Order: sequence, then C-alpha cells, then structure tokens
Amino acid sequence: MQGKEFQEKNEQRWAEYEQALNALEKKGEGRLDVARLPAMFKEICTDLALSRHRMYGVAMNERLNGLVIRGHKLIHRRAGGTWEQLLRFVTVDFPVAVRAEWRLFWVATLTFILPMLGVALAGFYWPDFSWVEVVLGSEMMSSLDSMYGESDGQIAHLRSEYGSNFMMFCHYIMNNIGIDFRIYAGGILACLGSLFFLFYNGVYFGAVIAYIHVACSKESFYTFVAGHSSFELIAMVIAGMAGLRVGLGLLHPGRKTMRRSLMDAGKRSLPLIFGAALMTFVAAGIEGFWSARDLPPMVKYTTGVIMWVLVVAYLIFAGRSVGVGAGRRGNQREA
Amino acid sequence: MLHGRQEPRLDTLQSIELAEGVEIHLRMAGPYVRVLAYLLDLLIRGGVSVGVGLLLMLAGAVLGFNVATGLNMLLTFFLMFFYYILFEAGKHGASPGKRVMGLRVVDTSGAPISFGQSFIRNMLRFADGMPIPFYGFGLLSMLATQRFQRLGDLLANTVVVYDRLPHLQMAALPPVLESRAPGVPLTREEQAALAGFRERGGMWSEARRIELADHASELSGATGVTGMSRLLGMAHWLGEKH
Repeated sequence: MQGKEFQEKNEQRWAEYEQALNALEKKGEGRLDVARLPAMFKEICTDLALSRHRMYGVAMNERLNGLVIRGHKLIHRRAGGTWEQLLRFVTVDFPVAVRAEWRLFWVATLTFILPMLGVALAGFYWPDFSWVEVVLGSEMMSSLDSMYGESDGQIAHLRSEYGSNFMMFCHYIMNNIGIDFRIYAGGILACLGSLFFLFYNGVYFGAVIAYIHVACSKESFYTFVAGHSSFELIAMVIAGMAGLRVGLGLLHPGRKTMRRSLMDAGKRSLPLIFGAALMTFVAAGIEGFWSARDLPPMVKYTTGVIMWVLVVAYLIFAGRSVGVGAGRRGNQREA
Repeated sequence: MLHGRQEPRLDTLQSIELAEGVEIHLRMAGPYVRVLAYLLDLLIRGGVSVGVGLLLMLAGAVLGFNVATGLNMLLTFFLMFFYYILFEAGKHGASPGKRVMGLRVVDTSGAPISFGQSFIRNMLRFADGMPIPFYGFGLLSMLATQRFQRLGDLLANTVVVYDRLPHLQMAALPPVLESRAPGVPLTREEQAALAGFRERGGMWSEARRIELADHASELSGATGVTGMSRLLGMAHWLGEKH
C-alpha cells in the first residue's frame, strides 16, 4: 500500500481522534465519550508502527508521533483523591517511612545533637563569649537579649502588637521550612550538604543555649521553646534523613545502575521530606500563636512534655495497626 | 527516523517505547533554551514579588502592617519554593517561562509528571544551582547525561522536552521519469535516507542537491547531475515497490 492510500484510508479516523484530543485537552471530560479514547489510541499506535515500518515518509511519521504523544499524555494523567491520600500519608505512610530509615534517623540525630551538646557544655564550663559571638554574631546576641533577657513575659510583650503573631507564624514558615528544604537538597552532594547543615545547626543551637544559660533568663527561653521544640527539631532531623537517603542513592547504588539508584532514592526520600515540611508547618503554628503567650511556666512545660511524648509515640506506633503488610507493600512499591 | 539507536546521532531525539508497543520520539531540550526559560521565570517571579509586595503594602493600611509583612513573607516563600513545583505538576507540565519557550517537563516514559516528581526536581534546584548563580552542577550533569538531565531530573526521573513539534519544512522534488532499481540491496536506514532525500529535495538549490548526491556516488555510480537523477530514480523505485 502506498503512503497516500494509507492516509486516505485512515484519514477520517485520525481526524476523529484528533477532534477527541482537542476536546479533552480544552475542557477536561466534556460531553465526550471517554471510553472510546483508549481504543482509538491503540489504533493510532498501530498506525504509527505501520507507517514507520513501511517508511511512509517523515511527514506522516511526525504527524502520527505527535498524535500518539498527545493521547499518551491524556491517558496517563494521574488520578486525584488528594484528601484521602493526605490522610493516609499522615496516619500510615509517613511514620512507616521514618521507621524504615531508622539507621539514617540515628545518623542525622547524632550529627545534630553531639555538636549541640558539645558547644553548650563548653559554654557552661568556659563562659567566654568571644567564641559564642563568632558563632552567633553580635546581632543575634542582642536579639536574644531582647527576647529572653529578663524573666517577666518579655516575649509576650514583644508580641502585643496587633498581627505580630501572624507575622511571626509566616516568618517561621519561610525560615524553618526553608531550612528543611535546604538540608534536603544538600543531600545530593554526596550527603555532605545535609550533614553540614545539621552539624551547623547543632553548633548554632548549642551556642544559643550556652549564651542564654549564662546571660539571659533560662525560664523565659525554655517556656518559649517547650511547645514547638518537639515538632521543629524532629522535623529537622527527618529532613536530614531525607537528604541522606538522596545522597546514599549516589554513594551506594548497590547492584542497581546509577540512574535507577538515584530514581529510587528520590522516591524513598519523598515521604520523609513531605512529612518534615508538614511537621515544621505545625511547629510554626505553635511557635507563632502559642509559645509566646503569657502563661504560667508549668502550663508551658507540661504542654511541651505532652507534645514530645505525642510526637515520639506517633512516629513509633502510628500505622503499625493498619497492618505491617500494607506498610510493606507501600514500601516495596516505593523502593 | 528509524528504530536503531546504537550509533551516536546528531539529533536530540529520544525514542521511548510505550506500553502499547510503539515508539514515540521526544525532542530533548538543551541547556540554552532552558536557561532562557529560567531567566523568563526569574523575571516573572521578580515582577510578581515587586507588584504584589506593593499591593500588600497598600493593603497594610487596612490589614495592619504586621499582617501585610507576614503575607509578604508567605509570598516570598511560595515564589522561592512552590512556583515551579505547582506549575510543573499542573496541567501544562511547565512553568510559564518554559511554556513561552515551548518546553514541557515529562516523565522519562513521556507521561506527565506527578506532584512528587515536580517537588523533587525543583527542590534540587538548590543543589543544581551551586555555585550560585551559575547552575554549575546542573550544567555539568546535563552535559554528562544523554538526555540533558540535571541532578533534579535524574532524581525525579524527568526530562525537559519540546512540547510543540517543529513545523516541518518539506518540499518534495517532482517524481522523476525513470524509475531505477538500486544495484545492491539497501538496508532500511539507507532506504529511508534515499526517501528523505527526495522528500526534502525541493528545499535546496540544485548545487546543494548535487553536492549531497555526490556522497552516494558509490551507489549511483556517477557524480554530478547524472548521479543525482539516478538517486532520485532509485527513491522513486523504492516508493513504488512498497
């Protein structure tokens, strides 16, 4: 059969298919009978294969190639169900993913906690502020002074202006989720970026603690951070885990090809970084609207302890009852 | 235009086999056009940031200064992290800058990308972008991979392709009178090359056609006008027989 005959014979079908594509691409489902699209798509696929094999020429090949690509895009659109997915993510997928990476959890936690403890302890024993100033900078030190300098509800005063709680909420979103994301992205540089940010934050927090113990009111600091610290710190560690997972995809492909290994690492890191961002968002809410309230310290401390227990229990236990099977299956699909 | 992909090729076409058993050809987009798209997006984000920032300042008179500042921070956060993610996970699979340049982000299978893929490839901009602002790692990775993938693309399993197929400039030569069988059996690629020569011949000057035809003088057994018309005769013969 000549190319021209082939075209004449099929032209009507192609035009029909193209019309269907146009309608679907414009306004979603429309009144069109969508059920026929897959069949039409397969016919076009066959036409393309025939046209290539019989060498009907570049023009026809290109046209059919374009038609197949458009149909492929429409047919392989992802389905929705956002809320259901979100619920399942929070109750099952995220805690399961964190538990599956428990080794990375310890690596990330220690990378953060050891320098923090080291610097804080060093600060208690050698209260010499020249090196604390090197870490924090004098601007940060004076802002710590203004926040925690005295004990009588200073932060609550700073937040007395209308809208300042909301402003700080937004600030924490931008700043803290931004830090999570940078920790994550740094992982691709052979894990070094994530480790560096975790270590650096550890040193920084350690210096803050040291400075506050020596120069400011401990109570106003700890009552402030009690409420949100659980969410914020654990989320940062989990962002570090996500980054490390990505970096390991590069460093340790195992028996996979490098391409495959990176792809899988990306997929496995995804629930971790989503969850970290979500937790940091919650932390920003607490930090913006609760932590600065002028309440008795005991209320603040109790809330803080309850939050820590809840978050840790959530990460340890959530999603287990849904069946290890379900979790495993999810994991294998991810892997 | 054929299936064999073993030899290095000059074009940036990638053939991808679908589940339906047919191959599609995607045109990969290289660094140059993607840099242009990036600059456009940068302009758009900068414009939105300044414009909406001004509006928020005005609205601050009503909402309160602190609320306006907070909203401005949220805007900055959104533009920094979620501008690309939402647009590329969206219906068009492209940020506005990419759309203007006629690009689109797809899965390496040619399917539209998921939110997760969009998230990964755009989060990794911070690593690809280093040393800031030269996209050093991204560029290195693009030059080192066959499909111009930066680190974010490798991790998310995505590629950037031309969405609009280029308008084909074709003008076939009028069929020759004398149909002529080639002296030796030709492979499929050789047959395709002959057919392509005839299909596109009308775009070139006579001198250029002869110059090209001379490359196949071994097949036609002659150079110059004779060789060219013999080649066209063979192309005609092949077309008739199929």
